[in-house]
Amino acid sequence: MPMRMDDFARLLDTHGADPARWPPETVPAARALLEASAPARALLERARILDEALRDSLPGPSPEALARMRAGVAQAVARAPLPAATAGGGVLHWLRPWLPAGCGALITLAACGFWLSSAPQPAPDDTLGAPRVLAMMDTHE
Amino acid sequence: MLNALTLSTRPLSAWEAPIAERSTPAPGTEAPLARDLAGAEDATLLGWAAAGDRRAFDQLAVRHLPLLYRVALRITGRPAEAEEVAQEAMLRLWQNAAKFDPTRAQLGSWLYRITANLAIDRTRRTRFQPLAEAEAAPDPAPGPEAVLDARQRRALLAAALQELPPRQRAALALSYDQGLSGAEAAAALSISTRALEGLLRRARHFLSARLRGEEE
Repeated sequence: MPMRMDDFARLLDTHGADPARWPPETVPAARALLEASAPARALLERARILDEALRDSLPGPSPEALARMRAGVAQAVARAPLPAATAGGGVLHWLRPWLPAGCGALITLAACGFWLSSAPQPAPDDTLGAPRVLAMMDTHE
Repeated sequence: MLNALTLSTRPLSAWEAPIAERSTPAPGTEAPLARDLAGAEDATLLGWAAAGDRRAFDQLAVRHLPLLYRVALRITGRPAEAEEVAQEAMLRLWQNAAKFDPTRAQLGSWLYRITANLAIDRTRRTRFQPLAEAEAAPDPAPGPEAVLDARQRRALLAAALQELPPRQRAALALSYDQGLSGAEAAAALSISTRALEGLLRRARHFLSARLRGEEE
């Protein structure tokens, strides 16, 4: 199916002038249009100019800039802790923003209090058991 | 010499294995200083870095910093900010080195995404500064593009880039400057391929018109 001019313009606007970047299924129709149409060739030339201008407009980092960045990363990494596989871990990781500092100690304190209050109290008789038994033994003798 | 001969002919103890039978360390388990950093793949270097090998991470920085700088420079337009963004992206990688799973994501794509997002955030806080020809931008009067020499074209382009939204600049940076496929660039920007194509189309259409001296 032949390619229309507006489809070709859209192709260039999306992928640029390099046919290597065009979707493979569009290449044969685009090439056929280029052979047959001077306006299509003008569009391609216009896209090529933009590609070239874009390519020329972006310098890479100078060796000095690259050295600065590398040193900056090395310094930051030297100060940073080792990578952690699980930062905080599981539920605690998600709860952390909502938990105030010291809440762990409070929870532990509350648990101890609950445990002490719920533990079975020794019967009053048991606290004086041994002397009473001794006294009873004395009476039998 | 005599000692050496004596040692070499000494019978092996029960716990010693002959040299031929001694196992060589598996890749990655050798001493950090003996590692072939230059020849290692990114995933291997990242694994070593996750275990605390800062030299391996430095090798990753050498490989990726120039690319990240160019992405950040296209989006921010400021060399100083581009340097900071590239370094920040690498630091994020260090912090996440142990959690990064190379089987689920490509390191380059992950870094591009972080860099693009950092750079876009910066441009929202500060005004975009066009590249080298910012100060020398001529009056974009209409004229045949054949007359424009390369210097004028760059100046026109720099002025036009200033007006593009940051996400369109990011799309240009990833698709054209870095040559990522549509799917990769879209994933890095967390958008669909169709949305990426829309960004590219609008950006190129605008830039092309400005190069011809037309107002959009």
